[in-house]
Amino acid sequence: MSAAPAVTDTPAPAPDNGTDRRSAGARILRALLTQRIALLAVLIAVVVVTFFVMDSGGYLTAAYDFDYMSASLINAVPLAMLGLAELLVILSGRGGIDLSVGATVSLAGMVFGFMYGEWGWPLWIAIVLTALFGALLGAVNGFLVAYVGFPALIATLATYYAYKSLAIVVNDQQPISTPAIQRLFSLSRSVELPVIGAYIPNVPLGIFTFLLPTGVVVWLLLNRTAYGRRVYAIGTNDVAARWSGQPVRDSRFKVYVYAGLISGLVAVVTVAQFASARPDAGVSGSGMALPAITIAVLGGVAITGGIGRVAGVVLATLLVVWLNAGILLAFAGNEGSQYQLLALGSVLVFAALLNGLTTRRYGGAR
Amino acid sequence: MSVGVADPRPDPGPTAGEPTPAPRSRGRVLPPPVSGQELVLVGVIAVMWVILALATPAFATAGSIQPLLVSTAPIALVGVGMTIVIITGGIDVSVGAAIMVCSVITAKALVGHGLSLPVAVLLAVVTGAVLGAVNGILIAYGRVHAIIITFGTANLFLFLGLRIFGSSTVNGIPSTLAFFGRGTQGRTLGIPHAFLLTLAIGALAWWYLRHTAGGRHFYAVGGDANAARLAGVRVQRRVLLAYTVTGVLVGLASCFVIAQGTSTLDQSVGTGKELAVIAAVVIGGTSIMGGRGSVLGTLLGALLVQTVTSGVTQLGWNSQLSDLFVGVFIIVAVGADLLRARARRTA
Repeated sequence: MSAAPAVTDTPAPAPDNGTDRRSAGARILRALLTQRIALLAVLIAVVVVTFFVMDSGGYLTAAYDFDYMSASLINAVPLAMLGLAELLVILSGRGGIDLSVGATVSLAGMVFGFMYGEWGWPLWIAIVLTALFGALLGAVNGFLVAYVGFPALIATLATYYAYKSLAIVVNDQQPISTPAIQRLFSLSRSVELPVIGAYIPNVPLGIFTFLLPTGVVVWLLLNRTAYGRRVYAIGTNDVAARWSGQPVRDSRFKVYVYAGLISGLVAVVTVAQFASARPDAGVSGSGMALPAITIAVLGGVAITGGIGRVAGVVLATLLVVWLNAGILLAFAGNEGSQYQLLALGSVLVFAALLNGLTTRRYGGAR
Repeated sequence: MSVGVADPRPDPGPTAGEPTPAPRSRGRVLPPPVSGQELVLVGVIAVMWVILALATPAFATAGSIQPLLVSTAPIALVGVGMTIVIITGGIDVSVGAAIMVCSVITAKALVGHGLSLPVAVLLAVVTGAVLGAVNGILIAYGRVHAIIITFGTANLFLFLGLRIFGSSTVNGIPSTLAFFGRGTQGRTLGIPHAFLLTLAIGALAWWYLRHTAGGRHFYAVGGDANAARLAGVRVQRRVLLAYTVTGVLVGLASCFVIAQGTSTLDQSVGTGKELAVIAAVVIGGTSIMGGRGSVLGTLLGALLVQTVTSGVTQLGWNSQLSDLFVGVFIIVAVGADLLRARARRTA
């Protein structure tokens, strides 16, 4: 019954019954269901307008304005980056998923803490090495999944356990927060943009130093390189890709390496944000992997592989971040964080049901 | 369900997916009652116990084995349900949150209304069944991938549980459930009741999955849902049943969890249990692709995981190291299975 998503190829337009002679309403509905970008844009508008109205009605504990929305983007940096990591992995198909990104963030963050905080290595060397260390951790996943043939869920569950444990043991459960690390907090401050900065709110620095470069590189990788098209190919039909002479194993292996690399960068972001390398940074509470997978699915990435876009992931992040920021103001005390769980869960179930419906009615979203 | 499609590579093992029950006259249809992996697990557990007994003499005493068996029980019990779910090709990552909801509802009712033991168990089991049925309905009739839906419901259950908690803890829980607990009330002939009950339910599930048409249908659904449907299996009902049974067992396991704790229940109850349960199932040799697996393996897997956890503590190592060993065991157990399947294919 689920053959449809795997068969429908991305570049091929959804098979249509010739001329489109339906009412405008049906066409809009169809556009919203098949164009995930359009749906997300509408949902973001709805969320923002709702909170603006609630704000002007005095229902919120603090002002929900552009300054607040801009400041809350600091939460979008790790979320969107890990969402992009999951995008790559899930795209590659054959049950691709990475449960270990949160644990990778913890472990790579501790390594960064040692290199920069304890041993006083130069910042850029520490960042590069942390990213490479993340890539190494991802390579373990990639090796197990692509070359040995582990189901991705199992391999990354095992490495989740292993990395999480190592991160906690490596410094005997203690966080690293030397003065050097604490000064890193300035990396997550908000800055005024040149030229147009006077007219728009200040934007968190991490957006420009980490999120935008990662987003652009992943977009270029997926859409402008042969490798990126191969990822879509193996995700859409593994066997066909192999028979057409594609290096399937190698391509799949690299996807996990890239996911690890991005997780390593997120580790640096997280350390800067907390002003401390915490051994449980990526796994405390429900961890970082779960929200990242949620973002990817909400962004229209098909869990069966081969379908998904960078823009969808980015818009889904904005939706979740601004929704969460609003919820935090709508409830007093820690009730807000509880209702964030409700929102995240409902949004995920809703997105998954929608993906299923879209697949059955229109042959898949794009 | 849809896992089969997402995995276009060659069949993981020709002898792996057991066919739907063939005519009864031939007894060769069923796999052997104890698989190779299970024998290996028994061996590994035995070796670990011997090593632990030699390293720390305190290990080989009743005072050490009994708590080990008690704390194995909830993981193993939920593992029985999870085995059925994974055999159908699904997965349920919401069991940790479901344990939280069931235990907080039961604990609050015990404190507020002074329920008797059977009523408390019934309340927990019914709550669990409802939560499981929510998962089952969404997965079977919404036709979406199980891992996504249960990630979503995990958040929803967590929200529900935290709302019911209200303040940070539930205090002053009466000892009504001591029958399942760590104390002397929780043992018969020195064996903890929680463990005995888990064994009994595990045996029942083992027999049902192996020797009844209904049980074989779960394997058929996991092997190939379409083929199963064409062969007359009511696939959606089977899937719904699998998640509901898991919910029921989650409810019962929550009673064990309350009984094993102190008179205070805090919000971290159930956290991370879903991964421990999945680890136990996978180490026990159940294929995450569906269509293959056994309850016996899961029980052994849970015992192995708990032995590692308790062994690491007793050796005086950092208790966080146990997760590392669990990860390594998953790799080794599944890796060995993959290599065996490859050997079978090439042979």
